[in-house]
Amino acid sequence: MEILAVENLSFSYPLCNEKALDGVSFSVEKGDFVAVCGATGSGKSTLLRLLKKETAPAGELTGEVRYNGGCCSGGAGSIGFVMQRPEQQIVTDKVWHELAFGLENLNIPSGEIRRRVSEMACYFGIEEWFDKSVNELSGGQKQLLNLAGVMVMQPDVLLLDEPTAQLDPIAAQEFISTVSRLNRELSLTVIIVEHRLEDVLACANKLLVLENGGISDYADVRTVAQNLRSKPELLKGMPAAVRLYSRFDKTCVCPITVREGRDFIERGFKNSVRCVQGKPYVHSAAPALEFSDVFFRYSRGEPDVLRGLSFTVYEGEIFCILGGNGSGKSTALETAARLNKIYSGSVKVFGKKLGEYKNQSLYKGCLSMLPQDVQTVFLKNTVAEELADAGAVADSLPYDLSALYERHPYDLSGGQQQLVALAKVLASKPRLILLDEPTKGLDAHARGAIAEILKQIKASGMTVVIVTHDAEFAAECADRCAMFFRGEITSCDVPGGFFPSNSFYTTAASRITRGYYDGAITVDDVERLCRANLREEGERCL
Amino acid sequence: MGIEKYNPAAILIYFLCVTLVAMFCRNPVLILISLGGAAALFLCRDGGGGVRTHAAFFGLFIIMALINPLFSHNGATVLFVVNNNPVTAEALIYGVFSSALIIAVLYWFRSFSLIMTSDRLLYVFGAASPKLALILSMALRYIPLFKKQATRTLRTQRALGLYTDNNIIDTARGSGRVLSVMVTWALENGIITADSMSARGYASGKRSSFSLYRFGKRDAAFVLSVLVLFAVPFATALTGLLEVRWYPIVQPPPASAAVLTAYVCYALLAFLPAVIETGEDIKWKYLRSKI
Repeated sequence: MEILAVENLSFSYPLCNEKALDGVSFSVEKGDFVAVCGATGSGKSTLLRLLKKETAPAGELTGEVRYNGGCCSGGAGSIGFVMQRPEQQIVTDKVWHELAFGLENLNIPSGEIRRRVSEMACYFGIEEWFDKSVNELSGGQKQLLNLAGVMVMQPDVLLLDEPTAQLDPIAAQEFISTVSRLNRELSLTVIIVEHRLEDVLACANKLLVLENGGISDYADVRTVAQNLRSKPELLKGMPAAVRLYSRFDKTCVCPITVREGRDFIERGFKNSVRCVQGKPYVHSAAPALEFSDVFFRYSRGEPDVLRGLSFTVYEGEIFCILGGNGSGKSTALETAARLNKIYSGSVKVFGKKLGEYKNQSLYKGCLSMLPQDVQTVFLKNTVAEELADAGAVADSLPYDLSALYERHPYDLSGGQQQLVALAKVLASKPRLILLDEPTKGLDAHARGAIAEILKQIKASGMTVVIVTHDAEFAAECADRCAMFFRGEITSCDVPGGFFPSNSFYTTAASRITRGYYDGAITVDDVERLCRANLREEGERCL
Repeated sequence: MGIEKYNPAAILIYFLCVTLVAMFCRNPVLILISLGGAAALFLCRDGGGGVRTHAAFFGLFIIMALINPLFSHNGATVLFVVNNNPVTAEALIYGVFSSALIIAVLYWFRSFSLIMTSDRLLYVFGAASPKLALILSMALRYIPLFKKQATRTLRTQRALGLYTDNNIIDTARGSGRVLSVMVTWALENGIITADSMSARGYASGKRSSFSLYRFGKRDAAFVLSVLVLFAVPFATALTGLLEVRWYPIVQPPPASAAVLTAYVCYALLAFLPAVIETGEDIKWKYLRSKI
């Protein structure tokens, strides 16, 4: 049964000549799980917002959106909407009140609200934090609360606009699997815009590709994925299995999940050549950052956050720190930037203890840090003022920002914000830069750009320390990776040795090839190995 | 768990009644009962941990009790004379009782703030005005969020070397910059919150107001008994039977059946929460010993 139909929808924002959407038509069946992908600025979010009357942006609109055969309405409750930032979507101060908020708006009597709220709290496993204040929740819990707050209104359609962009991979997986469960058990129709497609595509049954405001492909996930060979930009955001598939001219069905990817390799390629030749790791003799037996806690009564942390980062390398939420990774980075006072041990930057840098000399030409929330970097109204404030010289930047000079930093896309923030960080000409989750919320394109810039920065002699959840990113640009657990580093190795020995904190490519090939961590590695292992003509092939 | 198992509105009524009687009657017996009940409740709630509170209240009590005889020289019984000013027993007695009254009210307030947490208060406001309750709830959500973001921005600017705290002027300038950007941040993020609100049907019509608290039979019984125990002494006081003449000599009201009834009723009222609390403790111990 058709639940949502879009016919010839065109839309342009006020004071904007270009159409954000141009002649978009598609229909969604009840119970569909539609993933929407497309480059930044292709109109994904605009399309999603137009599907719900209450969130539709102002502008010039032609065409129509039909819901359940009628026109675009059915009450605020019948179409649910969850956005990117978990924190800002929460309205009230208590978890239970947040759950009830939507129902209050629909003027539903107390008894009914009580029943629905308690049922939904059970389903989402919220009971344990039901009485809590929302400030005490983690990011993942906040986003689940937002989802539950929408689901109590019993919508038929759920619209999700990059819901996991701000979450760590484990919370993101939990969120997506909850959505998938709602889709399976309640035949809830889901339309999701997402950059991180690795988990989403495994649950979706349809894939919609937007290009320049128009639909370029819309069909079954595998069919669309199979047709992506000619679109390298879109492929970047696809799961590793799809990217791998696109590199070969096979005619079999496109693999989506890790398991299918593994099947694809085993059937199509031999494994007589098992090992990818990694670069040998050489480091300079001079250490850039040294932690030795560092202990730190936020206040006297609390447990230690850093427990005897020791590691050394050498000059001119990119050092990635991975690890779970709350393991103390960010705290370690802040400690290196002298934002935390340690009570035992020592931290040295370029051979000098932090305390020996007097006044601001640590932050001038020596060390600089980019925090997780880039909004905290911005103080001014335009990008140009922002750069001038930090004393950044446009010519000395490894990339060009001049197109953005007149824009407000908050109006930029996530990737652009990251670049402007990085420019501010580089302005003090540091020799060591510390980055906290530089790829959070970014699409594949922006991630690639950041990785390229970091490699350039490294080539110019800077040392980079990155805290990240993004294994793919670390595999691509790190010289060494370290695993952080309970306030200390438990293992540290080059990516080629680090990722194949992990089961969860590893890349999809490494999971696909585990036990079949050794040391392959990126899709490029796997491709090289596969090419070396091509089966002879006539051998078993799909 | 003691008195807070009742509906917040019932708790509010209780606290209003119990303080009103003591303040209105100014009868030494009622004041002493009130002080006893208030201190007993606070001790139950606090588990005897608030030593500093008790000490502070006792100090305050002494000071206030001594101030009255120093300034008021009414009364027939002169104790001694200071600088040609007589210090009288009546003024001292009046001082003692009026400061006892203030301390009693302070104790009631301390217990009140321990028991009426923000969501209980919000519920009571919500009953009066659902709009006000929502605004308060949003403010309680937003203020910690704003503070957290401001702290994070300050730390970021420090690590970028753009914020120095070498001297007061630099600190002020740095904080000023952060504060001004926080206004932008608040507006920008307010838009997302507004979107999230309208996506969930806010302003689409009449709203209902939901609360975790229900007003059940037990609450009704509690409120009813509180009101009866309040009405008896209050009515007696209105007839003037409880009135005390402090000067020139202290004349307590003549003991009669009505006056005694008023005292007993008020004592029941004042010690009600403490009785509920200790009663429950004993019940738990009893149940545990049976297990």
